[in-house]
Amino acid sequence: MKKTNVEEINRNIYDIKNIDDYDYKIQKGLTKEIVEEMSNQKKDPDWMREIRLKALEIYNQLELPTWGPNLSELNMNEIATYVRPKGKMVSSWDDVPEDIKNTFDKLGIPEAEKTSLAGVGAQYDSEVVYHSIKEDLIKQGVIYTDMETAVKEYPEIVKEHFMKCVPISDHKFVALHAAVWSGGSFVYVPKGVKLDIPLQSYFRLNSPESGQFEHTLIIVDEGASLHFIEGCSAPKYNKVNLHAGCVELYVKDNSYLRYSTIENWSKNMLNLNTKKAIVGKNAEIDWVSGSFGSKISMLYPMSILNGENAKTEFTGISFAGNGQNLDNGFKVIHNAPNTSSVVNSKSISKNGGKCTFRSLVRVNENAKKSKCSISCESLMLDDISVSDTIPVNDVRTDEVEFSHEAKIGKISDKAIFYLMSRGLSEEDAKAMIVRGFAYPISKELPVEYAVEMNNLINLELEGAIG
Amino acid sequence: MDKLSINEIPIRTANNFGINSIEIENINIPENFGYFSNIDINIESIKDKVNFSNQNYRKLTYGLGEVLETQNKEKCNCPLKVDVSSILNKEIKIDFLFNQSNRNLAENIEIIANEKTKSTIVLTYQSDDEINYYHNGVIRVLAKEKTEVNVIILNFMGSRANNFLSIENELQDNSKVTYTIIDFGGKVSCTNFFSNVLGEESITEINTIYLGKDKKLFDLNYIAELSGKKSASKMEVQGALMDSSVKHFKGTINFKKGCKKAFGTENESCMLLSEKAKSISLPILLCSEEEVEGNHSTSSGKVGDKELFYIRSRGFDLMEAKKLLVRAKFNSIIENIKNDVLKEMIENEINKTFAIN
Repeated sequence: MKKTNVEEINRNIYDIKNIDDYDYKIQKGLTKEIVEEMSNQKKDPDWMREIRLKALEIYNQLELPTWGPNLSELNMNEIATYVRPKGKMVSSWDDVPEDIKNTFDKLGIPEAEKTSLAGVGAQYDSEVVYHSIKEDLIKQGVIYTDMETAVKEYPEIVKEHFMKCVPISDHKFVALHAAVWSGGSFVYVPKGVKLDIPLQSYFRLNSPESGQFEHTLIIVDEGASLHFIEGCSAPKYNKVNLHAGCVELYVKDNSYLRYSTIENWSKNMLNLNTKKAIVGKNAEIDWVSGSFGSKISMLYPMSILNGENAKTEFTGISFAGNGQNLDNGFKVIHNAPNTSSVVNSKSISKNGGKCTFRSLVRVNENAKKSKCSISCESLMLDDISVSDTIPVNDVRTDEVEFSHEAKIGKISDKAIFYLMSRGLSEEDAKAMIVRGFAYPISKELPVEYAVEMNNLINLELEGAIG
Repeated sequence: MDKLSINEIPIRTANNFGINSIEIENINIPENFGYFSNIDINIESIKDKVNFSNQNYRKLTYGLGEVLETQNKEKCNCPLKVDVSSILNKEIKIDFLFNQSNRNLAENIEIIANEKTKSTIVLTYQSDDEINYYHNGVIRVLAKEKTEVNVIILNFMGSRANNFLSIENELQDNSKVTYTIIDFGGKVSCTNFFSNVLGEESITEINTIYLGKDKKLFDLNYIAELSGKKSASKMEVQGALMDSSVKHFKGTINFKKGCKKAFGTENESCMLLSEKAKSISLPILLCSEEEVEGNHSTSSGKVGDKELFYIRSRGFDLMEAKKLLVRAKFNSIIENIKNDVLKEMIENEINKTFAIN
């Protein structure tokens, strides 16, 4: 009997390679001299240089994780940590170098900016090449710029928040990030300002055997509201590329932040990213995450609910195909009374791919009357793939409502039979079921991303039921 | 021993989650065991102390860890072999009673269920006084084709005892092995349970209730590996924690390649009866086969105020009302036990626990 074939993601657009042409590329490896040279190239202030060197020391002291995917193929001596693209950061697409502009055109970024975004940042290799924000937001005091500009123009705010939400010693790749970070976005939304349409940063890594270490720092002040979208992609090379970004989010009292991500790195990428949010009283952070690319991904966004009545929601989907090991999940710490968290995770494994959902929920002693609900579902599309669920639930007080459920399975024969009895072909029935499986996630995405996600899960079905 | 690190999960997660293994501090690991004589076995023929030899020792696939496994192997003071060759209408009952002369027990029990047999084996561990007794046992079950084995374990050791138990089962075609564990005793109680479900249409089932008080620590690490077609695993764990007691439940169902149409479910529920009690759970599902169905659910929370109010309005005091709710929660597992004497023993232990509080 023939097997149903679910085609893997069509990566044509994302795999477009430009010539590895740059203004400056640092030598491969990770030494004190290289970090100092990078700091010189970036004209860091002294305090930032000290952070980098301290982080390098910590990096050298920390071990690789003893759990999760095997990272032995990562050799930092083969990675260039800083690649400065041609041209400087501009605020008009016409001033962006032609080949870089063409890449972003094909990814649809300028078009999206015109129709549905309040501001855009576009990073190419290690530096942001384009940044813009609507005039009316500037007038309201919103700051949206690249991290380098923020370090120079808002040093006090950056000093107060940089690597404070995510401590440098958190794990080895955070220390690496702090030592060689470059690019990324800085957002400050003043008290009471509510942005109706999203800001978006897009990160593109073009250079082979290199790393991208962008830093995103967002502060949503009291009573403010923001939707921030992050997109990432890279063309495929034969050797390993590394992404070790860091996202620090401060969601102050009574404010709201939605952080949406579509990661579609190439399948030679090790995606070892760290994201964390500190959430204040009556504030809320919602994470929406689609993870499709990467050879190996280890990504566990974290919400620390420090304020009373703080809330978080995580809605995520992972799709692992041939050669991919996507170890994703979520962490939440309930650290105040009446906090709540809702986690809804889905994963699809196909063609030898491996998806792991790994999570931590901790309800601390002081988090009385908190609520937590976790649901994860995994779909296996063939018998050569792997799907694992490893959730830790740590409840340290009695006044809590906590529930967790998980399911693993294949597409139900009964469901296919039912749909076929209603006149659908078997192929259409399966396509509908898989899209339906992903729907709770896609409905949370902005419409153009939902369309992209449906394209990414491009189903091509043939033959009878497997 | 300053620190004993045991009961590692089959697949590690982040170290700072604090659950890959458990570290027990300041634990007294006895050197001298002596002969454990205070055993009551209702069928004399199953005693077989001759066959046990270190040379024949088969290493446990998982177990509680090197230190405890080596100790059991080298210091075993009670080897028992149960060879079931027919359908037994009567339960086999083995009672271990700790006392001043029998303080440390390292039993090694091998249960072989031959083809087409049915058996129930009851193991009780009890002590009448509050001395720091020590138990480090190993139970192995080989369930051959078309067998049904029920193992009931009652841990009623005193509140100063340390209780360690490693269980390993091998299931051949069409066999069913069911464990019911009533885990009430000891200040530390750690269990490693592993079922290797090799046979087609074979079923492993474990039902546990635990009741913690004072500073009691439970560390339950249950693993079922399903390799046989249409095989199944069911884990049901119900518990209640009082005072500063702590429970770690780590349940793993591993759908291995080839276990087509296998089914696995784990359900864990913890009632928190004190604001200082802690419940950590890690329900793991590992899946390398497509045509399977696996699910798990866990829940933690305090006793419902409405339910308490209702029961108290009927004239019960608070502790009695809590006991009734806990007892109701445990009921589905206790009712699986057919022996009324055992049920009464469990009832008495629950009463004792709530009376002290």
